[in-house]
Amino acid sequence: MDLERQQQRQTVGDITVPDPVICCRGVNVRYGDKPAIRDVSLDIAHHEVIAMIGPSGCGKSTLLRCLNRLNDTIPGAVVTGTITLDGQDIYDRQQDVVQLRARVGMVFQKPNPFPKSVYENVAYGPRIHGLAAGRAELDEIVQTSLQRAGLWDEVKDRLNQPGTALSGGQQQRLCIARTIAVSPEVILMDEPCSALDPIATARIEDLIDELRQNFTICIVTHSMQQAARVSQRTAYFHLGDLIEVGPTERIFTNPRHRLTEDYLTGRFG
Amino acid sequence: MNRPELQTVAASQQRVRERVGRSLRRRYRAERRFRACGLGAVLAGVLAVGGLFVSIVSTGYSVFWQTRITLDIQFVPEAVRAGDFTALVRAALRQQFPEVEGRQDLRQLYGLISDGAGYELRDRVAAEPGLSGTTAAIALLAADDVDQLRKGRSDRHAPEAERIISDRQLAWLDELDRRQRIHRQFNREFFTAGDSREPEQAGIRGALVGSFLTLLVTLLLSFPIGVAAAVYLEEFAPRNRLTDLIEVNINNLAAVPSIVFGLLGLAVFIQFFGVPRSAPLAGGLVLTLMTLPTIIIASRAAIRAVPPSIREAALGMGASPLQMVAHHVLPLALPGMLTGAIIGMARALGESAPLLMIGMVAFIADVPAGALSPATVLPVQVFLWADSPEPAFLERTSGAIIVLLVFLLLMNAAAVILRQKFERRW
Repeated sequence: MDLERQQQRQTVGDITVPDPVICCRGVNVRYGDKPAIRDVSLDIAHHEVIAMIGPSGCGKSTLLRCLNRLNDTIPGAVVTGTITLDGQDIYDRQQDVVQLRARVGMVFQKPNPFPKSVYENVAYGPRIHGLAAGRAELDEIVQTSLQRAGLWDEVKDRLNQPGTALSGGQQQRLCIARTIAVSPEVILMDEPCSALDPIATARIEDLIDELRQNFTICIVTHSMQQAARVSQRTAYFHLGDLIEVGPTERIFTNPRHRLTEDYLTGRFG
Repeated sequence: MNRPELQTVAASQQRVRERVGRSLRRRYRAERRFRACGLGAVLAGVLAVGGLFVSIVSTGYSVFWQTRITLDIQFVPEAVRAGDFTALVRAALRQQFPEVEGRQDLRQLYGLISDGAGYELRDRVAAEPGLSGTTAAIALLAADDVDQLRKGRSDRHAPEAERIISDRQLAWLDELDRRQRIHRQFNREFFTAGDSREPEQAGIRGALVGSFLTLLVTLLLSFPIGVAAAVYLEEFAPRNRLTDLIEVNINNLAAVPSIVFGLLGLAVFIQFFGVPRSAPLAGGLVLTLMTLPTIIIASRAAIRAVPPSIREAALGMGASPLQMVAHHVLPLALPGMLTGAIIGMARALGESAPLLMIGMVAFIADVPAGALSPATVLPVQVFLWADSPEPAFLERTSGAIIVLLVFLLLMNAAAVILRQKFERRW
């Protein structure tokens, strides 16, 4: 029975990619005594969008928050296994967590701009990391980041207004601009559109597609259509296990694991 | 389809409607009763506060005026040189009533003017040396009993035996009044003089400065320490048995009777560390102990009210924990922390019990020069005056309470304004 279950939960599909940027091997996370994810191994390639899908509580957000060690802030969270970024173990004692988060940015479920001006929101990262030599350079970083996030035309006349005064979709794009202002290698997105209307969602999805040119993006989403639209690879999680990984098109058209199929066809979830 | 069944459903729906209708009346009655009770409670509170204010203000407002008697003072150079200004006052009084003779009567006559009038003259001459050798009409401070009589606080129609002012003194006063020599003036001395045994000379300057210095010490110590403790406990401390113990103790500390802090201050600060007795420094240290838990608890609540999404955003951008706190959490929590600090300060301003223990209850006539010189504070001044037998001190007591209440109201208003102005909604 136990063996059978184990076999059933073994990841289906190829978890490896050539020249990965992030490489997870045997990752376990538990919150106190409660296991959140079990033995997850997954590679993430350069310049791809990988979607993580699955029913609530399946551990996809947990894995995402391991990648920039944001789980460190949760008391009782224990992470075992190895996660490497460009071959370097991010849970190594030598790894500085501030440095890591400058390289792995994050966009959250609910837009969370700082209660400061639009300009200050974007300038915050470059400022604390000392990326700009002077005001002119900082201005330029702010402008290009806002342009890349497709927000510049909407906010260029009100850079000094509070970021919290923007609409929900604009706030989320501001958060994306804030993240890309420090030129991270990977951007983690935790259900970035779940608080937005369909039009704002469409804009963010377009943006994700453009950002793929320069960044690697891991996106957790509840919307299977969104996963299908924006990602190249999809990973399906179920109750803390990584069930199936593969090219998005293959997963959606020809899922190999029964659980994946059940989820995609709407039998549960 | 099934008609009988439909009928029973309709019947039960009808029954539900009736029952709801009946219970509605009961529910509304209960609601009206509850509202009436609430309104009654609020009214009782408002009445209590209103009664308090009316009683204090009605006894205390007259302190802001003081009776003065204008006399023609002859600044005889010899007396000025000798510094015998009381003789000048007495001479001026005798000049008004040349018919008065005999030691007893003269004592009564001199009793109309305050003993402090001589000092007033001395200060006047010190400021204007040219007065020596001239004659000038000068409004002199009346004795407290005269002042009380003029303010209608003692009954002039009572039998003489029950009056402090004798019939002869009454006659002289009426005569002075006829000569238009009695006036009411704004009581500047109440705000510029220190304490005195004579109520008409007693002022709150010493207590005000003492309170200010004490609160300054308290604020300078308790705000940084309280905020630092709150930030550490909320943001950095590990959750373990030790921090739990600290947390419980902080909450307990907030409930400790304040006089216990006074005893502690006496034993530790004065006996052990040798801080000067009665000094605002000692008072400030004791009040710091008392205010700290308030500030820590308010600051922790303010920090906890900062939404976790802001913290995550900052950490996600690669801010170090200290940067997260300094750039995002503290600015957002600061209004709440300041509100807590102001409320703590207001409590400290009104506190007297712990200060009695460390000697701030001594009679100190001088305005304190610094945090190390002996001082008293407003509430203790109120306590001291309330203990004095002279009826005029009753008015001073209420006057000092009015000033204390004004400061407390100002501080609370500042807290409310701060909260409204900087309150953020997410």
